[in-house]
Formats: sequence, C-alpha cells, structure tokens
Amino acid sequence: MENAIVSLSTPLGKGAIGIVRMSGKDVLKIALKIFHCKEKNIKSRFMYFGKLEVEKNVFEECLMVYFKTPFSYTGEDVVEFQIHGGVLLAQKVVERCLENGCRMAEAGEFSKRAFLNGKITLDKAEAIIGEINAESEGELNSSLKITNGKLGRMVEDEQKTLTELLAEIEVSFDYPENDYEEIVKDKVFLKVKEIQEKNQNLIEVSNSGKYLKNGINVALVGRANVGKSSVLNALLGEERAIVTNIEGTTRDSLTESFFHNGVKINLIDTAGIRETNDAVEKLGIEKSLESIKKADIVLFIHDASEKESEEEKEIAKKLKNKKVINVVNKIDKKRILAKLKDEVEISALEEKNINLLKNRIVSDVVSIDLNTFVLTNERHIQILKSADKLMKEVLLLKEESLDVIAMLLKKVWAELGKITGNTENEDIISLIFSKFCLGK
Amino acid sequence: MERFDAIVIGAGHAGCESALALARTGNKTLLLTISLDAVAFLACNPSIGGTSKGQLVSEVDALGGEMGVNADKTAIQIRMLNRGKGPAVQSLRAQADKNLYHQEMKKTIEKEKNLYLRQGEAVDISLDKEDKIVTTSVGLKYVARALVFATGVYMESEIIIGKTREKTGPNGFKNSHGLSKSLEKLGVKLVRFKTGTPVRLHARSVDFSKMEVQKGDDEISTFSYLTKKPIENKAKCYLTYTTLETHEIIRNNLDKAPAISGEIVGIGPRYCPSIETKIVRFADKDRHQLFLEPEALDTQEMYLQGFSTSMPSEIQKEMVESVIGLEKAEIMRDAYAIEYDCIVPTQLNPTLELKTIKGLFFAGQINGTSGYEEAAAQGIIAGINANLYLKGKDLLVLKRNEAYIGVLIDDIVTKGTNEPYRMMTSRAEYRLLLRQDNADLRLTEIGRKVRLVNDERYQIFLEKKKKLKEIEKVLNVKVKLDARLVKFYEAHDENPPMESVRYRDMLKRVGITIFDIKSEFKILEEYDYNLLEKMNIQIKYEGYIKQQEEDIEKALANEKVKIPDDFDYDSVKGIRMEAIEKLKEIKPLNLGQASRISGVSPADISVLSILVKRNKHGN
Repeated sequence: MENAIVSLSTPLGKGAIGIVRMSGKDVLKIALKIFHCKEKNIKSRFMYFGKLEVEKNVFEECLMVYFKTPFSYTGEDVVEFQIHGGVLLAQKVVERCLENGCRMAEAGEFSKRAFLNGKITLDKAEAIIGEINAESEGELNSSLKITNGKLGRMVEDEQKTLTELLAEIEVSFDYPENDYEEIVKDKVFLKVKEIQEKNQNLIEVSNSGKYLKNGINVALVGRANVGKSSVLNALLGEERAIVTNIEGTTRDSLTESFFHNGVKINLIDTAGIRETNDAVEKLGIEKSLESIKKADIVLFIHDASEKESEEEKEIAKKLKNKKVINVVNKIDKKRILAKLKDEVEISALEEKNINLLKNRIVSDVVSIDLNTFVLTNERHIQILKSADKLMKEVLLLKEESLDVIAMLLKKVWAELGKITGNTENEDIISLIFSKFCLGK
Repeated sequence: MERFDAIVIGAGHAGCESALALARTGNKTLLLTISLDAVAFLACNPSIGGTSKGQLVSEVDALGGEMGVNADKTAIQIRMLNRGKGPAVQSLRAQADKNLYHQEMKKTIEKEKNLYLRQGEAVDISLDKEDKIVTTSVGLKYVARALVFATGVYMESEIIIGKTREKTGPNGFKNSHGLSKSLEKLGVKLVRFKTGTPVRLHARSVDFSKMEVQKGDDEISTFSYLTKKPIENKAKCYLTYTTLETHEIIRNNLDKAPAISGEIVGIGPRYCPSIETKIVRFADKDRHQLFLEPEALDTQEMYLQGFSTSMPSEIQKEMVESVIGLEKAEIMRDAYAIEYDCIVPTQLNPTLELKTIKGLFFAGQINGTSGYEEAAAQGIIAGINANLYLKGKDLLVLKRNEAYIGVLIDDIVTKGTNEPYRMMTSRAEYRLLLRQDNADLRLTEIGRKVRLVNDERYQIFLEKKKKLKEIEKVLNVKVKLDARLVKFYEAHDENPPMESVRYRDMLKRVGITIFDIKSEFKILEEYDYNLLEKMNIQIKYEGYIKQQEEDIEKALANEKVKIPDDFDYDSVKGIRMEAIEKLKEIKPLNLGQASRISGVSPADISVLSILVKRNKHGN
C-alpha cells in the first residue's frame, strides 16, 4: 500500500458538513491518534461517533468511518471524518492528519489510486484524466489569482530572496577561487532569519493560519446595563462553552469559546461581564479598553430602547481603528436608538438573530480575506508551514557546515516553488552567472 | 576494408576512455585520431579536477577508467578545494604536466593489447545494416558494429584571432572536415558552439615578485584508488590582477573583438567568458584576478587563466603588458576563440546511444559539453555501453543519485544545453552522497559488473570495505564515563555526556573528530588518513545522508515506471500540446526522466502515469 494521503473531499466553501478523507498505509492508526471514541475495536464500514482533537484540548464532535482494503474507493485502507461544515475547521483536521504522518494528496490522486488498484475500470481512465486536469486547472487558476494577489507576490519575493542567497552560497562552492567576497555563515543566518520572518508573517497574513490556530478573539463592550452578560449567554447558548483561564490569571481574563461554522470564537475577558456586582460593571470602560486591544473584532452592545449616551460616544472614539459590529440589543422593546452603521439588531432575551450575529463575526473577520487569498488553497498554507519548519531547523545549525545548510535551504526553495511554479534549478545557476564575474 | 569490433573516432579525453573501456572488455578496437601528437592533449588549462570535476575523475576511476590514474601520474601540484565548507562540496584539483599527461596516456593506450591506435582523419560514415563504415581522408575504410563519436571540438572548427579566421583545430592541429555533413545525412541535428583559450607566456619574462604564490596542499589525496605513491607538489601557481589600464585598452578596442562585434556566431559558455566580455558585463569591477599556471615541468610556457580573448594579436600584447607583473611579458602563443560543430544532445538516450541508430554512440565535447573531465566521464560510459551493445546486454545508465556522471548525462539528454555544458556541484541534488571520497563505494561494484574493473582494483576495493567495517566495529565500543572522558569533551568545547558513550556517539559532536578520538584513546592507529576521514564524514553526516536517501527513495518511484519505446504520444488525450511535443522529442525512458523535461508539468506526469499503466494492462 502506498503512503497515506489526505485531503478535504467536500468542496471548499459553505456546506453543512465537511468530509476529510485519508487513504493509504496506516490511516487507521493515524486517525486514532486524533479521534477518540468509546469503541475499542474499529470495524470496517461502520460509523463511529466520537471527539476529534482539533487542537490541544479542543475537541470537536464528529463521525468517523473506516474502510478496510480492498473494500474502499481507492482499494487501500481509507478513513473518512465527517465534521461540521466550515472550511477552517476542516483545514484544521487536515492539518492534524498531516502532522501525524499523511501527506497532502495531489490533484486526482484518490481516483488515480483507485484506478491503479483496479477499483475503476479502464474506460473510466479518461474521466480520471479529466478530473486531474480540472483540479490542476482549478489550482492553476487559484495560483494565478494568488500570483496577482498580495500573497502570491509575497511568496515570489520570498523565494527570490532565497534564490539570491542560494546563488551566493553555490558560487562559493563552484568557484572557490574567484575574486568576489565569499559569503560567510553569519551572513547566511542573518538572511535566513530575515526570510523566515517574512515567511512567518506570510503565514499570519494568510489569516487562516492565525485564526485556525487561535480562533477569533471577540471583545464585548458597552456601557452598563445594555445587557452584555445576556448577549454573552445568548452567544454561548447551548453550545458547550470551552472555558479557559489563561496563564496565571485572575478571574478577569476568563475566556469562553465556541465553534461557529467550524471557526473557533473566543469571547475574551468575560469575567468582568459575568460579575453581577454593579460597582464592577461601572468600571466598564477602563476594563474594556484592555480587551479591545486584544480583540480581532469588537461587539459594541447598545440598548435599542435608549438614546445614544455621551459615554457611548466616548467608547466609539476608542474603537476607531478596530473592526466593530454595532450590536443593537433589546429589539423586543420599542426602538428609540438611531440607526447605527453596520448594525445587527438582536434580542438576547428572545434569542433573536443570534445566529446572524455569529455569521457576521466570522464573515467580518475571516471571509473578506477568504475571498482575496486566505483560502486559496490549503496546500499552499501547508507549504509555507513546512518551509517555516525547515528554516527554523536551519537556524539551529550554527555549527554545521555550509553544504548541509545549503541542502536544507534548497529544500525550502523547492517547497516555495510548489506555489510559485519556479522549480528550475537553472534559475539559481543563471543567477550565479549574471551576478558574479567568473571563469577562466 | 578492415573489420573491428568497435571503432572510436577521436583520441581526446572521451575517446581514450571509450577505447580503453572497449579494449579492456575484450573488443578488438580501432582508435582513430587526426594526429598521434594530440592524444589526450590538454588543449586549454593544464589542470585536471576542480569543483565537481574532481568527483567526475574519481568516478571514472572507480568504474575502471584511466583519467584518475593518468592525472595522478602526471600531477605536479594538488589541492583539495572547499575544505572548510563541508564534505559534500570538496573536490580535488591538480596541476598536470601537459606533456607528460599526453605521453603517459599514449603509452597506456599503446600497451593495451586489443587496442589499435591509428592516425587518420575520418571524413565519412555510412551504414550497412548493423555495420558502421568509416572512410578516412586517404580512402581507407574500416568497419565495425559499434562506433563511438568522440571528435571533440574538431568538426568544421575555426580559430578566430581578431580579423583572422583559420579553418584549423585547437592549437594548430588539423580540423575535421566532412563528418558534419555525413552526420547530417544520417539525420543528426547539429549546432555551433564556441569556446576559447588564453595566451601562453614565457616564464623568464614574468615578474613573479609582484604576484601571490599558490602552493599545493600538505595533506595529499589522489584521484585514483589505485595510486600508491603520493603526489609531489613540484610546481607553483601565481595570482595577479588586471589593471584599469587593461580595461581601458579593451574598451578602446571593443570594435575589434569578434565576440562583441558579432562576428562570432557560435554560442559561448557563460561560465567561461573572454576577458572582453567580463569587462563589458561587469563594468563596475576595477580589477579581475588572473592565475599563472605552469604548462609542464620541461617547458617555460605558462598559462594565463582568466585571460581568454579573441582580440587581434597586437592588442593582446598591449593587454597582457598592462597586467601586474607582466609588463615585459613575452607571448609564446596567442589566445584564440574556436567555433565548432556539435550535436544536439537530446537526440541521445541516457546510454549515450543515438536514439535513431543502434550501436552509434557519442561522447565528449561533440555532445555540447566542455571540460576534460566531462568528456572522460561520457567516454567511459559510451565505451561501456558500446561493449554491452556488442554483447547483446542491457545498457548502463547511472542515476542522478549514483554519480555526477549520471547528473551530467541526464541533464544533457533530457534538458539539452544552450551553451557548452560545464559540470557544477549546484547541478547535483544529492551531492552529500556524491562525494569525492566515496566514488568507489558508489561505483566499483557497477564497474565490476560490466567487467571493466579488474582483479587488482576489485581486491583493493574489497580490502577497503573490510577495513571500513573493522573501523565501524571499533567505533561501536562503549567508553565508560570517567574523569578522562569528561576532560576529553571539555577540551573540545563540548558538554560531557551523562553516561558512558560509544566512540561513534562522540563523533556526533561538532567539536570532536575521529582523529581526536584516535589520539586520545589510542585506537584505530593502523588505519590511514583517507579511510578514517571517510568514516568521520559518514558518521558525522549520517542524519543528513539519511534525509537525502529518503528523498531519493521518493524520486526513484517514478524512475522505475518505464515508458515503452513505442509509446504513442499522438493518441494521448489530456496532456497539453506543449508537453506532448517535448515528450515526443526527448522520448524519456521512464516517468522520472519525463518529469525533468522543462515544460512538462506535474499534472502531465500524473496523466502520463495512468496512460503508461493502462498500456501495460494491454489496452
């Protein structure tokens, strides 16, 4: 059986559920590293309910099916996870599979394996070819998109810097006796650090990385008595809240989280909101200021039944450079408050429009970016991450000889090439000759 | 018409290796050369080896070739390049005595019992079924089933010095006229390439006191695994520089430089530009370095490396005299550019056999490469394969992970080349495995299998393997943790271990070498430097070597999927036209080679893999 591969089998985008599929050697073993259920003996072609550890101590309910070879689509051992819809969660699951020994499937690879294992008849081969081309084309289009987009240019820049560095190292290998200034290791590390930081930044810029890992940080602010704590409860609703007390902390920094459409949403600094003592609620603004800083988006809660107060105008000033959703609560009462920009009307009491608000949180923070580049391709993000890992490895090798360092940097270069399409070794050699005056 | 088993045309570095490989594997072989005085002639620089080329020489040697032996015999200075940069990129470079090199190789060839060395110019090739018939300029005809073309830069060559163009070969030897046409008649596509060589100066006219001396290494290695006597460093080289005046002279005379004025149409190498090209392209550099190398011990001629030019003779003189230390230099030979015909190498299989004519092989500069070592590397493969062809056996292809030779041949036959191709370490993706020190471990078994490695070489090889095993055993012994061990670690700036350790574990520390262990613990004293160094590298770089081996494992999967000879690319749906054209031209032997063709995408390969497998299922 060939090595395990994984991919998201349902289309990227909206959908009630997502299916992550693995095929190949040891897929069940890989699956059971991250999926926990009561059943001890997993039988082929049965569905199991359990919890998937999407990140450390964060569990997501999901279903798992195992198909033992040869009774599967590909003819190999296959495991499928059915998870809640939403791309980010699915990506997180794919990522966990990758961490545990899978590699990303290439375009049409599941079908290709199915064909090679005799699961698909010869006359279907043409169809598979179509599939490979369609998927590659899709990839090509999205590559094109990112080439035009910011991320694409940034990856290209990053690879170019690396090409230059490699040329400089390689020329010192191939032309040790020429009269240019030979590169020294200190300079190599400085450059690698620079590239690595760029790359890391890229991973962060591509947002999904960041939000996948940490979720969206949401702060609830508003003057006293607008119903912050009831909004909080309505948001958490019946979903099992994940309550954490972050390092060393006072109750003030309590964070409560839930998943919506597969994205983790962290309501930060909720201790203050939960405090029923009026005196504390009055401390509202100063307390809020700190949480505002940490938030990716702020829910500014208003009372529909009252006019805008001076205090609220003050708060609005503090929110100037932030992503804000104006949440107009208590629409079960008569609305007196004037229309606000980008507002969402809800009633925490009657649990009205709560889902709408959740959608807004995700779409305001993530989806806009999604359309530009975040979700271009889960493979791309994995590539950046693997480049990051390799470079961090290199940075630890201060004592190692330059040939080994060059070998690892070449791997980084080849990784980035999977995104940019520049994989010709000749590029480096050409640069050697254009940059350095060499020869006999 | 005299019959041979095999004929080799050209007795340069490729031809000599081919002919020797053929004769040594029991074939009656004719080695035809335009001049007996040009056998294994070092037409350009008087040196063998250099980065990645040193590896090529040792690989030729490990397979049972002659270049390493001959270079060791005639070396007058030797150095290991890149010592501080890690084992993957270290290479040997020797100054060779040009006259001795030629004489010694000629002697070796004359001694070979199945080998017939004959002066004569081949002017025509014709085919009669499997037979190849070679006709010489004086009307003699030779026939054989296998033919190796190793004509170097001689085909329709022209020497250019300023306005003067002469239809001769290098160094005033006769050129070869007629073969190009004959090849074209056989359907072989040709291109015109260019290269050049610098001036030769009389040593008595050089002011060495103004130059920096370059000496050989103290710790001496050899190219060949057979060489027992160490190389003596008998010669010195010198480093000097051009001046602003040199650049001024060149700039003022650019209109007379054929390379720049467009009179030379042949494509020259980027890595070996003439001095005028350097000055045009790197205008901001105020000096360029030049090396003076002795051509041989019995001559006063010196080679001025870095000063290749095709300027008129009188300007060359002015240019030379503007260089530091060369104010009164006497030029003995002019620098010149040379244009010549070579074949488009993508017409060859990785066996170096022409795709369209069985039993016809090409090796050396005629394939668009440059360099003695590149030529010899192809020569030995062409020779080995011509023999295997004659014996009706499967031909040999060295893989990219086995040898620089494999990289070199795969590159030229898969990607082709737009300029004379030079080997570089940067071209090898698995260079931590393709080291100077382990060529025999990589290739001697292969050389033995094709019967080129004789008993003497094989015994030496087995002996060495045995010794390496012994060394490994010694290194597996544990040393208990005591004050001495702690002191040893501290003396080498390493944190002492927490428990007893094996010697090999100590080697994993950057600060500790096998030689440190040897002198501290009084072990391994009966083993020589090279063996210990090899083991030192093997253990220290174990982890990285393993990484490369894993990469190779992945790459080999595609290499194993053969594409049938008669695969019908025209009936293929789902592969882009551009890729199909390329695939039809190159006719890759397997998916791995196909994936290295520029312009063929991973998706194309994916589709191709399905079609190839479908074909195999008989549909």
